[in-house]
Amino acid sequence: MLLILMYLSLAIGYRLYSPGEIWRAVTAFDGSEAHVVIRDLRLPRALMAPLVGAALGISGVLVQTLSRNRIASPDTLGLNAGAAFAVVMASGLFGVASLPGLSMAAAAGALATSLLVFGLAAAAGGISPLRIVLVGVTFAGLFDSFVNVVLTVNETMLDQLLFWLAGSFADRKLSLGLNGLPFVLIGGGIAFYLTRSLDILQTDDSTARGLGVPLGAVRGLSFVAVALLSGASVAMAGPVLFVGLVVPHAARALVGLEHRLQIVAAALVGAVYTTLADIVARFVIFPREAPVGAVTAIVGGCLLLVLLRRRAA
Amino acid sequence: MDKAISVQALTIAYGAATAVSAVDLDIARGKVTVLAGPNGCGKSTLLRAIRRLHQPKSGEIRLGDLPISGLKEKELARHIGLLAQSPSAPDDMSVEELVRLGRYPHQTMLQPWSAADSDAIQAAMFGTGVSHLAERRLGSLSGGQLQRVWIAMVLAQETDIICLDEPVNHLDMAHQIDCLDLVSRLNREHGRTVVLVLHDLNLAARYADRLVFMKEGGLVADGAPAELMQEALIENVFGISCRVIEDPVHQRPLCIPIRNSSPRFGTAPQV
Repeated sequence: MLLILMYLSLAIGYRLYSPGEIWRAVTAFDGSEAHVVIRDLRLPRALMAPLVGAALGISGVLVQTLSRNRIASPDTLGLNAGAAFAVVMASGLFGVASLPGLSMAAAAGALATSLLVFGLAAAAGGISPLRIVLVGVTFAGLFDSFVNVVLTVNETMLDQLLFWLAGSFADRKLSLGLNGLPFVLIGGGIAFYLTRSLDILQTDDSTARGLGVPLGAVRGLSFVAVALLSGASVAMAGPVLFVGLVVPHAARALVGLEHRLQIVAAALVGAVYTTLADIVARFVIFPREAPVGAVTAIVGGCLLLVLLRRRAA
Repeated sequence: MDKAISVQALTIAYGAATAVSAVDLDIARGKVTVLAGPNGCGKSTLLRAIRRLHQPKSGEIRLGDLPISGLKEKELARHIGLLAQSPSAPDDMSVEELVRLGRYPHQTMLQPWSAADSDAIQAAMFGTGVSHLAERRLGSLSGGQLQRVWIAMVLAQETDIICLDEPVNHLDMAHQIDCLDLVSRLNREHGRTVVLVLHDLNLAARYADRLVFMKEGGLVADGAPAELMQEALIENVFGISCRVIEDPVHQRPLCIPIRNSSPRFGTAPQV
């Protein structure tokens, strides 16, 4: 299913291309307009959308387990807001305007925020799930307000940055995806390494320690993974909202609560969902393109309502 | 006495407040030891310290001959299991998923799931009578069933020593007896050493091989229920005057509380 979607992501959009055309664009590039569109515009997003989706899916699972809170997500922890803040600062103070520059700023912002949230939660006397969420929500609000203040004051900046702040895969170069890939792999690797401990993190602290889980170390490592995965995603696509929140719910509904399966399922569902959203984004206000972040949020919100209704029934 | 655990001059403090002070206690292998005492006497803290959930301010706890402070997390978890007070897990977790968590200390990165693990969880669910609930979600269980499932989880850990922190707190009378009968059977049939914290003195006297009274962080008395269930001693520890008679069914001492000798809520009007 993922492969079909990735193919569709190459084939459909403002212009439609045949399978043969796509194949030739990749294998026998001839410099025609169609081939340029496919290679430089379509291919990067067909590859990056699933990568970002998988990263956000895994990072959503980690955040929800870490905080023992099913409505937490990387957004809740303020990682996207921190990234947005860093982007606005970079643009406003240092005049960074290029996409790679903004991506770097976004990744740095997400990483710095995760360090800040984790550090403060730990400093306040031991990392408790509740404290992680409280500190995260505080920073999310804080950074969001900063961003809003700056953008309200400076309208030109709003125009320049709005495309980034809404989250999108349009006009991304493949190199951006290649830079993000190692971070996603390392983050995913850590998540895999921790699967059994994460299973046990779902119980209360006394039970978890009674089973021999070193809580501090596991929580610290999980946070590193969350920071890498979310930082890489936000650098590649900007804030793509709701994926980290909805996808873990779908993954649990599919495979249950053991993380070994949950993480694989979340990566796949996240990839499918984001790729689909990226394709849909090209058509909702055709011929212009909607920000993918808006699509994931709208569809995700509806999905979540359905899931909640089913749980209640 | 064959000692499973020995506590030596143990003192534990939360900040400035001392929760357990200078306690010496040997826990006999293969027996049921019950820690009892009024609220805040340090019995739960002592139990949790035995499982190394609290760092001692001074003193030492030994598992056999080894100080527990020197053991690795998983190693300790293969020797001592803990059923925490009011444990929690997600409502949508299945019974089997929870019981499987008990195998964590036996698993490694290279050997994530073995036949021994499957055997252990099957045996644990069978032994606690929850096999038929394996697919059920925890949120759909009754309080009594849920507590059995938690015991199954601790049992799957296959430890020689099992610590239970007020396991019957939220259960009705029938389920309290049901749960403690189960614990007592694990002790008799499987030779597990059991350490329990219980609030109800009569349940403590009924199920304990050995009873330990604590008060204000210190150990007051320690011995067979028949020795400890003395009216004067109970009044001293629990602050309540009482009569002790023999339970006609189990031939265990039974305490009938009469009046609070140091009222905490003012004196009730005399009728």
